[in-house]
Amino acid sequence: MKRKFDHSAPSESALTGPRYWRSLDELTATPGFQQHLAREFPEGASTLDGVDRRSFMKLMAASFALGGLGLAGCRRPEKNILPFGKSIEGVIPGLPQYFATAMPLRKSAIPLLAETHQGRPTKLEGNPTYAPHGGASSLLAQASVLDLYDPERATVNTSKGDVLSAAAANDLLAGVGKTYAAVQGAGLAFLAEQSSSPTRARLVDQLRAKFPKAVWSEYEPVSDEPPAAAARAVFGAAVKPIYRFAKAERIVSLDADFLSAESGSLYYAREFAKGRRVTKKEDPMNRLYVAESALTLTGSMADHRLRLASSHIYSFAAALAGKITGDAVYARVAEGLDIKPEWIAECAADLAAHKGTSLVVAGAHQPAAVHAIAYAINASLGNIGRTVDFVEVAADESVSISDLAKAITANSVKTLVVLGGNPAYNAPAELNWPALQKSVGEVIRFGYHSDETSALAGTHLAAAHYLESWGDARTADGVVVPVQPMILPLFGGITEIETLARILGLPKTDGYSLVFDTVTALGGGDSAKTFRRFLHDGLLANSAYPIVSVNLSGRGLAQVLGSVAPAVGALSKANLEVRFVTDHTMDDGRFANNGWLQECPDPITKISWDNAILVSPRLGKELGIEPKGSLIQVARKEEADFTQGAENAHVFTLTVGGRTVRGPVHIQPGLSNYTAVVALGYGRTKSGHVGTGAGFSAYAVRTAQAPAFVTGATLVTTGTRMKLANTQEHWSMEGRDLIREANYSEYKENPDYVREMGIESHAPSNLGKVGEAMTPAQRATEIPRGGSLYETPKFDGVHQWGMSIDLNTCIGCNACVVACQAENNIPIVGKDQVMRGREMHWIRLDRYYSDGKADGRAMADLFGGEPSGNSILPEDPQISLQPIACAQCELAPCEIVCPVNATVHDDEGLNTMAYNRCIGTRYCANNCPYKVRRFNFFDYNLRPLDSLYLGQLAPKGMPELVKMVKNPEVTVRMRGVMEKCTYCVQRIQNGKIQHKVKTAQAGRPSDVVVPDGVIKTACQQVCPVESIVFGNILDPKSEVSVAKAREQDYALLGYLNIRPRTTYLGKLRNPNSKMPDYAALPLSRIEYNNKNHSGDHSSSHGEKPEKPAKQSGGHSSVLPSNHSGGLS
Amino acid sequence: MGAHHESSSTAPAILAEVNPTALPRAILVENNRSYSWITEKICGIIEGKTPTWWWVCFALACFVASFTVAGISYLVATGVGVWGHANPVNWAWDIVNFVFWIGIGHAGTLISAILCLLRQKWRTSINRAAEAMTIFAVVCAGIFPVFHVGRVWYAFYLFPIPNSNAIWQNFRSPLEWDVFAVSTYGTVSVLFWYVGLLPDLAILRDRFEAAGQRARSFIYGFFAMGWRGSNRHWSNYEMAYLVLAGISTPLVLSVHTIVSFDFAVSLLPGWHTTIFPPYFVAGAIFSGFGMVLTLMLPLRAVYGLQDLITQYHIDCMCKITLATGTIVGYAYGMEFFIAWYSANPNEGFAFVNRAFGHYAWAYWIMISCNVITPQFFWFKSVRHNTSLVWILSIFVNVGMWFERFVIIVTSLARDFLPSSWGYYSPSIVEIFTFFGTFGVFSVLFLLFIRFLPIMPMAELKAVTPQADVHGGEKH
Repeated sequence: MKRKFDHSAPSESALTGPRYWRSLDELTATPGFQQHLAREFPEGASTLDGVDRRSFMKLMAASFALGGLGLAGCRRPEKNILPFGKSIEGVIPGLPQYFATAMPLRKSAIPLLAETHQGRPTKLEGNPTYAPHGGASSLLAQASVLDLYDPERATVNTSKGDVLSAAAANDLLAGVGKTYAAVQGAGLAFLAEQSSSPTRARLVDQLRAKFPKAVWSEYEPVSDEPPAAAARAVFGAAVKPIYRFAKAERIVSLDADFLSAESGSLYYAREFAKGRRVTKKEDPMNRLYVAESALTLTGSMADHRLRLASSHIYSFAAALAGKITGDAVYARVAEGLDIKPEWIAECAADLAAHKGTSLVVAGAHQPAAVHAIAYAINASLGNIGRTVDFVEVAADESVSISDLAKAITANSVKTLVVLGGNPAYNAPAELNWPALQKSVGEVIRFGYHSDETSALAGTHLAAAHYLESWGDARTADGVVVPVQPMILPLFGGITEIETLARILGLPKTDGYSLVFDTVTALGGGDSAKTFRRFLHDGLLANSAYPIVSVNLSGRGLAQVLGSVAPAVGALSKANLEVRFVTDHTMDDGRFANNGWLQECPDPITKISWDNAILVSPRLGKELGIEPKGSLIQVARKEEADFTQGAENAHVFTLTVGGRTVRGPVHIQPGLSNYTAVVALGYGRTKSGHVGTGAGFSAYAVRTAQAPAFVTGATLVTTGTRMKLANTQEHWSMEGRDLIREANYSEYKENPDYVREMGIESHAPSNLGKVGEAMTPAQRATEIPRGGSLYETPKFDGVHQWGMSIDLNTCIGCNACVVACQAENNIPIVGKDQVMRGREMHWIRLDRYYSDGKADGRAMADLFGGEPSGNSILPEDPQISLQPIACAQCELAPCEIVCPVNATVHDDEGLNTMAYNRCIGTRYCANNCPYKVRRFNFFDYNLRPLDSLYLGQLAPKGMPELVKMVKNPEVTVRMRGVMEKCTYCVQRIQNGKIQHKVKTAQAGRPSDVVVPDGVIKTACQQVCPVESIVFGNILDPKSEVSVAKAREQDYALLGYLNIRPRTTYLGKLRNPNSKMPDYAALPLSRIEYNNKNHSGDHSSSHGEKPEKPAKQSGGHSSVLPSNHSGGLS
Repeated sequence: MGAHHESSSTAPAILAEVNPTALPRAILVENNRSYSWITEKICGIIEGKTPTWWWVCFALACFVASFTVAGISYLVATGVGVWGHANPVNWAWDIVNFVFWIGIGHAGTLISAILCLLRQKWRTSINRAAEAMTIFAVVCAGIFPVFHVGRVWYAFYLFPIPNSNAIWQNFRSPLEWDVFAVSTYGTVSVLFWYVGLLPDLAILRDRFEAAGQRARSFIYGFFAMGWRGSNRHWSNYEMAYLVLAGISTPLVLSVHTIVSFDFAVSLLPGWHTTIFPPYFVAGAIFSGFGMVLTLMLPLRAVYGLQDLITQYHIDCMCKITLATGTIVGYAYGMEFFIAWYSANPNEGFAFVNRAFGHYAWAYWIMISCNVITPQFFWFKSVRHNTSLVWILSIFVNVGMWFERFVIIVTSLARDFLPSSWGYYSPSIVEIFTFFGTFGVFSVLFLLFIRFLPIMPMAELKAVTPQADVHGGEKH
């Protein structure tokens, strides 16, 4: 398994020539020698904690030896992985190589390109060949490379505590196959994770044929695809929907977090952004209605958001369907729904006005009936075939974990093979899985970590990481993609398909052969060529699930509706709904030991290293945990008590159906009033140092009957407090002009609304008259001084780098945060340090809520009168998100104050850091208005995070394994040094060098300007919604120049005359003026107007003008109308 | 002097001309003390047996100073993280303490230099100790900017030392200006103090010589640099002293002006304000006099120096404290006016937040101590109640520490982007490090009062009534 592009086949003589042997043992092939060969290292070597550099080098050397120079007779079949076209043939030291692979997750996969440095993968990018993702990738994919080098992953096979050699493990698996082949598999059971792998599907089919009596069950704690039952009932076929958001002008989400949590969300986010992006007045803009209980990323993008309990979504969907279709079948279900009827009526009317260009999406966790209704609405609106396609998928024939549990209880399982997953941690609570698993005679557990399930299994087989594995997978729309190893298994793990093949007793059990056979059978043609193409492109052409036409069966629909009773019972403090959500970073708990993910704050709550029981402000008040605030509330009241910067959360006991769990409660604006939202994936008891003990496990109260939401819960205080690491203490923009928003209707009349906000709109231009007349490119190089006397830096480089961030499309998925962390060797600092406010992320996402009530009457609280808006927490806020990294100010305030010239400008407009020169006065960080500079308060890279305060007494040095993930092109910073974003200067330099080499070779040495789009920053590359655009602003045709030339372009805090190179494009909202919760201006804009022009209250109290009157100053002041606050 | 006037008033009932009586000059050395009394009194402190209380205080001071040593050692060994700093509050107690100590260091040079130039003779009995206080305060102040940096072993990058990379310092940075301002101030203060010590060191040399204590005589003689008290020496000495006073005078104003630039030159709301230089200088003098009172009143009581540090001195210092305290109070008000008048919402918020936000407690401590406390000095009865003056002077010191805290921390904690707002609390290491600097200061000051003349004997003698050749007669 080497990485050479072309490798000659073993010669005839090598295969049949004279046989050399090293010892008599080898000649006679004694078992001891065979084991010795398989071992590679002396016994016990691989049980060492982690891998030291020496053995890693041996491992690498061994991979070459095995692949190319092995003894004749021990040769494995040739297994080449093919570098992606971007790389150069062979290895050039210092230059990274890119290989296509994919990250499988449940029933889908994300196609990736892995960047490898001298044989070790360090960074993953989306594979641009897969058009639906356009080169983007997700937060989880970005972080998954760290798992490969997790020093605490399972490194050896164990059996009852003893180390099991690879050969013995093979024998064990083969033995299982042999034993059960005789009895047709009776007594054998498998519990696997969901998988999209065609090879696994093939092997499972073979398994069923060979062991017809064996149980094959699959379990996923969370589902990210619509239930197959809905499609089967309504269409009578095994199909699943693929949404075409780009074509949808009106979108209704029924509790669906399609931008983040659903399978295919990368594609959906990208498509949604296409319909959202407005580059000129004439561009259409989609409108998103969301009814949901939790505040999801999708909900944060909503133009109209209805806070509705998840259990009421069914009735809501029926009511909507009733309005649209006029069908009486829905009436029974819709009964008793307690929301403003206009909401449904106007929403339905809007959808009806957009037949064929509208879309209704139901959340994957919602029951089949809700999906059936959504399908029916889409069918009725003529959306099927236009904004939603149905594709044919294989029917799922696996049994559920509950059925498996029954089989175990019935004592009919003798051998249980647990393939991946972690049922001891996440199986439905009522199964009491740990006891169940212990009752099985032989449990063979195949897993990546030695976790809760392994601890209860007799045998643990160490799994290989997907970056060490041969495999295949399907994307959400069915395209077959390869999973190629970038490196030999660091600890000799095997893959799931290899495990299955060994149980099956197949002649070829290596992953390569298995995948080769599957893919060439699927792809047809010349098998070698097909496979080569497959590996090179990173996907198999024309392998997507076929789109089929479907016919709605009214009877099927009626049946589904008839079978599920509506549940619109009033919720209250004594009858709470609990909504279990997949965590943004931990997923279902499988990424618990990933430090990047643990430290990445939740995009909405901004809590890292923990989960919390999220409750609405109203419920918070009823529970008596609403923070008190101050006597005079100068700024808006915080949503939590913050003690010395850490959130001091009340710990409550959540009781559902007699089961309890304790967890901290966090007040979260925007939730349905009586829904407690709990993220899964925390509270691991057997993970590594990173994952163990972070948060609490909500699986303890979660049953198979109600995996996503359940009612009848209560919250009781324990009277104790717990500190949470919340990275954003304050939620309100305080009426400042940070995120400038307008409604789409206003924008069309007044496209440069951003210029009418902020201090610049009241002050003479910083650029002066001369500067105002310049083009952006001129401004960048000449830096017009305006009224300033000071000399300004010379920007005479051939490139002038700049960035534009479109706030209108940013969905806040956090992928950029972790992509930046992976690219720039940013350390994690641990919960304790995050609580102190010392997180190191170079790019962060600021999340603000607005409710239109910040009115600047802070004194009202003290001097009587109505309580001011400042002492109110918003129940139904609008959410605004803003990614912030160093803006590379042309007149950088950080540079002026650095006494030692450690942060200076280069001639291409980058504000660079000379780490070696930095002595750490931190003055630059103080003077940075964006607060994007990060200081190494400790040796985060060298000292264990739990002994930072021990100083020199703490162990020193980074584990060798962790060093492997570092990007060799970026300095690893030591303590006492300031650091920050430099637009990925290493990528810029690489791009420039490569371009220079290319043009010099082509005889055009003077052509040194890198073409637009060649250099991408890490955050830009990963962004699924293409919010971030980076490039040369001297080139008027570059994407970034075009973006900056747009009317919504503004500089954050531009009045400071710091002239940031990163500018923002204003945010737009597209509300429906007929909706009951319509506000003529975005709520943040109302707050801005009230704070800055509080005298202007003349216009429209209570009225709802169709469009805001355009006033000369643009400061129309409109109070928000009452929001329909969901079910109350 | 009043007595002299009375005795000479044997004139006729009708005056030849109206000759208004000059306001009586305050007596600077009371009880008509002789030259030798002064010499004995001051030299006696050094020559006498070391009192027990001194040893107790010295041991205690050393113990307290060890907190700073331990705190700094731990800091250097571990990282700045042992302090409470975090984004967005990247400066806190370190710079607060720096400005606090530097501010205290202002009174000494002001008393020595400016009052010297203005011929305020009452300065003589307090200037030596005040100058010593200045130097020790600068020592304490210097600890913080040096050790608050992340990599103290590279702190020499701050000095324009030629290096192989030919990288210069950034002369646009106020921190760099600080380096020059503080080091210049420290150097000149030491020189000024030392020059003033020369005649007194010579007295001690001679007295130890006479007492047969050769070793001590040699040491004092070494530092007395061959002072013989000749007319030539005196004339050179007077000129040197005057020149140094001239050099020091602008430094008194410049050091704190430049320290204030650390804030005024930045763009942070609450820092970025042109009122800072005069406001900081006034505050520094205010705190400096506060500290002089805090130190001199116990000293006066312990050594029985009531004749040398008279009620008149205390009155003068109280009045200066009152004046500068009122200027500081005015500045606090003016800040609000400027913030409002600028119409910049960020500025406005910064100041409202100071007074009513999360750190309002610090703001109101500051206002109570700095604005209200000095107002008591309007009343003669207060100025004459030494204990009360001492207590009030402590309040001034506390208030001025809080002023720096309010300026630095509240502005940083809540600046432009609410997403980055935070709250700073000191760590135990920080608290002890600061606490320890009082020990460092005390150790140095105790050594000073034990081994050096705490008052300039020669100058004192020049302001005694008997030094007046006219015996108080007016001409």
